[in-house]
Order: sequence, then C-alpha cells, then structure tokens
Amino acid sequence: MSTPVLTLENVTKRYGDFTAVDQINLSIPQGSVYGFLGPNGAGKTTTIRMILDIIRPDTGHIDVLGHRSAMDVRHRIGYLPEEKGLYKKMKVWAIISYFATLKGMSRSAARHKAFELLERYGLKDFAESSIESLSKGMGQKVQVLASIAHEPELVILDEPFSGLDPVNQEVLEQLIKDLSANGQTVIFSTHIMQHAERLCQRLLLITQGRKVFDGTVSEAHAIIPRRVVLETRGDIHSVRQLDGVLSVQEQAPEDGSARANGIRQWELYVKEQADSQQILQHCFENGVSLSRFDFTQASLHDVFVHLVGKEAREHNFR
Amino acid sequence: MRVTLLIAWREFMENVKTKGFWIGVLLVPIVFFLIFHISSRLATATPTRYFMLIDQSGEYGGAVATAISREHQRQVMQEFMRYLQANRVDMGGAPPPQAPANQLDQLMDDFGNDEVSALDDWLSNGGLDMALQMARPYLREDAPPFTPPRRQFIAIDPPADLDTSAPPQTIVEYMRPYLNGERRLQHDGTAVPLFALILVPANVAGDVVRPDSLERLMLSDGTPTGVQYWAANLTDTRLSSAIQGSLNNTIRQQEFAAQGIDIQAVRDIQRTRLPLSRLDPGKQLGEAEVSMADTFRQWAPMGFVYLIFISLMQSVQYLLSNTIEEKSNRIIEVLLASVTPGELMMGKLLGIGATGITTILAWITSFFVFLQLYQTVETAAIVQILDVLLSSDLIPYFVFYYLCCYALYAGIFLAIGSLCNTLKEAQSLIMPLIMILIVPVLTMSFIAQDPNGTMARVMSWIPLFTPFTMMNRAAAQPPMVDVVGTTIVLVLTTIAVLWLSGRIFRQGILRTGQPPRIVEVWRMLRRRRV
Repeated sequence: MSTPVLTLENVTKRYGDFTAVDQINLSIPQGSVYGFLGPNGAGKTTTIRMILDIIRPDTGHIDVLGHRSAMDVRHRIGYLPEEKGLYKKMKVWAIISYFATLKGMSRSAARHKAFELLERYGLKDFAESSIESLSKGMGQKVQVLASIAHEPELVILDEPFSGLDPVNQEVLEQLIKDLSANGQTVIFSTHIMQHAERLCQRLLLITQGRKVFDGTVSEAHAIIPRRVVLETRGDIHSVRQLDGVLSVQEQAPEDGSARANGIRQWELYVKEQADSQQILQHCFENGVSLSRFDFTQASLHDVFVHLVGKEAREHNFR
Repeated sequence: MRVTLLIAWREFMENVKTKGFWIGVLLVPIVFFLIFHISSRLATATPTRYFMLIDQSGEYGGAVATAISREHQRQVMQEFMRYLQANRVDMGGAPPPQAPANQLDQLMDDFGNDEVSALDDWLSNGGLDMALQMARPYLREDAPPFTPPRRQFIAIDPPADLDTSAPPQTIVEYMRPYLNGERRLQHDGTAVPLFALILVPANVAGDVVRPDSLERLMLSDGTPTGVQYWAANLTDTRLSSAIQGSLNNTIRQQEFAAQGIDIQAVRDIQRTRLPLSRLDPGKQLGEAEVSMADTFRQWAPMGFVYLIFISLMQSVQYLLSNTIEEKSNRIIEVLLASVTPGELMMGKLLGIGATGITTILAWITSFFVFLQLYQTVETAAIVQILDVLLSSDLIPYFVFYYLCCYALYAGIFLAIGSLCNTLKEAQSLIMPLIMILIVPVLTMSFIAQDPNGTMARVMSWIPLFTPFTMMNRAAAQPPMVDVVGTTIVLVLTTIAVLWLSGRIFRQGILRTGQPPRIVEVWRMLRRRRV
C-alpha cells in the first residue's frame, strides 16, 4: 500500500477536565474510503477539526499529505463540517465557485466546475437560485459540492448523510464512490451504519474519545459471533447442546400472528467456524419443525452497539 | 493576499446587494433634500395669526400697532434680501455688488437695534419701492417681479357684545374660549381662530418700571402688571417680543421727552456704528478679512465629524452582522479550513471598509447632483462653500482620520462579533462602545468653538476620540505637537487593537455558547495558541 495520506500519533485533546480525544492513532491509505463511527459526543468532530488544524491537539502528532499542518496543504483538502451552513443570500453556483477560489482555483475554472458539478448531481435547475430558497437537504448537497469543487486529494465529510432523504443519500453515496474511483481519499463520519457498510474499506470506531476499533469492514463483522435465527413451535432444548452454539436467546417474533400461533423466535450465537447446516440437520432429525431459519452475519449496527454498548447509552442522555 | 482580496470582494459585493445598503445610500440624500426643501418652504408657510388689541389706556395701542407693522416690514426685508440674491446680475466671478447689500445691512441692523426710526426712514423713503429702485441696476433683466410676503399678523375687532371698558379680569374670562380655540371669531365673513389677545389696562402707566422702582417689583403680589399678552401658543414669540420691544421704545421716547432730551439726537446717536472687522491671523494683511467662506471653513470639520460618525455606525453594523452570520451559520468552519483567521479578518476589514467608502462617495455624488438640479439662493451659497472646502487642506485630514477611525473601531467590533452567536448578545456588549462613540458627537460644537482649548486637547490624546476630535480641530491649526503626537498614538493604538482583536477573533470565532466573561477574554489574549 502507498504512503498514508493521513497519520495520527497519540493525539489527545482536552477541554479543561474533559478529555475529548484520548491517544488516538490512525493511518489512512491513499484512495480509500474511511469511516469514522461513534456515538454522539465521541470525539469525531474534534478529531476532524484537529486533522484540519482548526484546533491544535494538546499532545501527539498529525501528518496530513506529508505536512505537519493542514493549513500548509489546505488547497488539497476538502471539508464539510458537521454543522452545515452557507451564506443565505448567495447564488448556488456562486457559493460553490467562491469556496473553490478560496482553495486556489481561478475564477473562471471555479465557475465552470460549479456548473459541471451541479449538472452531474441533479441541481442544474437551481444554479441561479439563492441558498435561502433551497430546502435544507438541497443546501447540504450544495455544500458537499462546494467542499469538493477544487478536486482535493483528501475529502473530509463530517456527518454528510444527516438530513438527506433516501434518494439524495444514494446520490451522495455515488458521489463518494466517484471520488474514490478518481483516486481521492474520503474520510466521513456517520452514525448510520448502512452507509459505512456499503462505502467504507476501513472503519474507525471511537467512543468517549478512545479508539475501540480500527480495521476493515470484515474485521469488524468478525468481532461479534455469527447468529442463527430460528422460529418454531417445537422445543429447541437439544439444539443448545450442539457443539458450536455459544448461547441462545429468545426474541420477540417480528410477526404478531406467528406469536398467536405459539411460534417462538430464538437467536443462536454460533462460533465463527460453526456449520449452519449441522444445526439445520439437527432440527430436521429431532422433528423440530421450523417456520424460519436465518443464518446471518452480524450487522455493523450490532457491532457498533456491541462495542459502544452501555457507555454510549449513558452518555447520550447525560 | 489573494485570498484576503477574494474575501474582501465577496463581502463588498454581498453588502452592496443588500437592501440596507441602498436604503443607506438613498435615504441620506433624500432626507437631506426634504429637510432643505421643507425648511425653506416652512419659513413662508407659517399660518396667518389673528390678534385682538384692546387698549384701555388709549396711550400704548399705537405702539403695539407699530410693533406689528414693524414685524411685517422685517418679513418684507428678509424676502427682499433673498429676492435680491437670487436675481442679481451675474458679475462673472467678480464680487457681488456691495452697495445695496451694505445699505440693506444697515437697515437690518437698525431693526435689530430696536430702532423705530429706521422703520420710519424705510417707510418715509418709500420703503419697499425705494429698496427696489436701489437694487434695480443690479437685477437681471429677466428677474421676476418681487412679491412681498403676506401679512402674518392681522388685527381683528372684538366681538360686538364685549364691553371693552370692562375690568381686564372680566374681558379675559370672556375671551378665554376664543383663546383656547373652543370658539372662533368672525373676520371678513369667515370664522378664524384667535391667536393672541393684547390687553392694555387703563392704569398701565403706573406699572412702568424704572431703576428706582425695582424694589416695588420685588414686592409684587403675583397679579399681572403692565401690558397683558394672552396666547395659548407660547412657542411663537415673534409677536410678543416685537410688542415688548416696541413698547419699550415708546416708553423711552416719552422719558426722553419728559427729561427734555432731543429725540432726534437720540435717534441719530442710536444709529451711529463703528464697524468690527473679523480678521484671521493666519493670513496676509489684505486678505485677512474673515469672509463667510472662512467662517464656514472653521465649521466645516463638524460636517466631516458627522460623516465619519454616520459612516462608522453603518460599517460596524455590517461587520457585526456578517461576522455573526458566519458564526451562527457555522460557515466559519469551512472558511477556517480554507483561510487563516488573519486573512479572514483582513478580508472583512477591507471589504466592509470599501462598502463604507462607497456609501460616502455615493452621498457626495448625490449631493453634487442635487446641487446641479436644485438651484436656489441657498444651494448657490453651498456651491461656493464646497469650492472652499475642496480647495482646503481638510480633505487629506478627513481621509486619514476616516481610515484610522474605521480600522480602530472595526477591530474592536470584529472581536466582539467573533465572541457572540447572535446580534442580541452582541448588542449588550457594544452598548458601552456606542456610549463612547456618542461623546465626540456631543462635544463636537464645544470643540469647534474652542478648538485648541483644554477639553479639545485632552480629548485629542485619547485614541478612541482622536480621529473625531482632531478632525474637529483640523481647521484651527492645532499645535504641531498635537498633530504629530496624537497621530503617532492613534496609529500605534490602531495597530495594537488590530493585533489584539486578531487574537480574540482567532479564538472567539470557533466558540459556541454564551459570550465569554472579561476574565476569559483576558485569557484568550494571553494564550499562545488554541
């Protein structure tokens, strides 16, 4: 793999007694799509702000595109902050072009690029509208375009999906894929796991300022055991004894009518190497009639809840 | 630098596009025009006043009638002066004809000196006709005929059923509803309101005050003495003061006569004058006479102080609201990922400074356009005055103090803006600054009167006041030590303020939540880096 676009070494940031970011280490390879996951208040935004040198870490080093400060290479970085906002009175194309010129593009090139992006991502008809006449979601799309118009090598998007409808979420996913295909590195933070699952090659999961996971998506899946979901009227006591089954929990069936018929839903956690066929065969042989048999990988959502778990719930409602 | 200019350009363009900017640009000339237009109309638009004279003494009624006639003649004189100025022959740059003006000056002066004989002269010499004849050689050929103003005070007869010989108390009680506007009197077939009742009691001669009767005056029991002037409107004093002056004149002439003094001699003595030439020590003998333009030049700095003040108030408004917009919209974060706080601050200062200068230029342009389109006597005088201004050394002073003042206050307001999330929060913080800014405006006319006095000199050395005060004093040749010294202090302070507000700006701009307390601001200034 080529030299990393971004490295963080033991980066820590405190606000008084509160440690926002605690000893984070990170290395992001070029051209990857990297997800920053974590509950609200985990330190994602603080980390991103430190990467951009808007605030300085108390200790540790950050290296961006081979430089100590992002300000030195700010023309090569694109940034969408968590709290979105644009000049209300400006026209859509003008604001994209303005931010691109601030990043070193010439006026004419910036203007040209603005119209090109607006056309490609379905906002052509709004090019001459003022920002205040747009909906919040459209404004957010404009801001994403404004952050990438100067073709940055590194794109950092803080919560880019929040507030977008499903159609526009897909447009944004496509945009991120386009950037990645173009060799641009994308870092985005989110707490919607489906996006991370679909887009990211690697994930960083932080909670309370500490890194709890850093790796590929499949590594993340491996963190919690696989599951088998069964629905049956029969007795599954014998299944518990099977080799490879770690634990069994009863779940409320999703279908209410099934419950009325006496069908119960069970969730079996199984070892990584466990053979699902063996469980199915066991049921068949012991006359346990199944109305449902699902063998699924744990979703990233489950991984997230598993890793962040109780702590996050406590902190969210602090 | 390129980025700074980009930011400045955007700030400028966005401000210029706002409604507020155009309201500011257009409102000032419109208000100026209206004030000008209305005040010149109002002078002639005062309604006709009806008064009633009841003279029970049979002695002073004539004096009152004279007073009212004299007040009318004064109006005629003033109108005539205006007419003369508007219609005199254009002498092609040569000074305007002095002779009639001097004679008119004499006449006006006589009026001012309570000299009834001047009016007698004016009337016996043909009054207005004489003045017109005197002025005719100097009038343009196409000059319109002079229309004298209508009488503003018209005598009205008492109601038929009023017994004018009744005691004053009774008459006043009877007339009270008329004076209060509840009832109206008949005059030439129309009902008119009564403006004033002038009642001369029968025994009024006994109320004449002489130096030896002062003691008696002290013991007065509160009942009105002398001539009684009853009017609901107490703000229009022209009639009452004219009557008072005329009465005193009559009394004094009687006294002269009683003591055997030749009245004609007294009149002549009262019209004797020794001219006073007002001279400027800063000029060569021969040109030292203080002209109207010179007088204006002394007062002109006040206009510049106003201009600085108004423009500054407008600019800081933009600075505050734009900074707070960026903060509350969180645009600031994108900006700070693209530019340094220093570049952002300088861009804002330049862009909004350019907006302010544009406004001033627009005002000046519209002012000139106004003068071109609306030519009257008054505007002709203003054009002369402007010529003086433009050729004077006040303009460079103005440019310098305007820029320094802007940089100084803009720095402070930017720092405040960076600490606040809403305009509401900012307003409580800028209140003290507004108070400070009002001081130079309040003291402006005192400083203009005594430009090198203690107050002016002390205020000049306080940097927040320096631009205003020194501008105010600019025409009065302040001591060199003041000019150079305060300039150094001002420039150094401005640099220091910009540097300090740069530090606050850098840290305040990313802050959220309540504006910081003083202690926190102090910490921001001391901290090396975020």
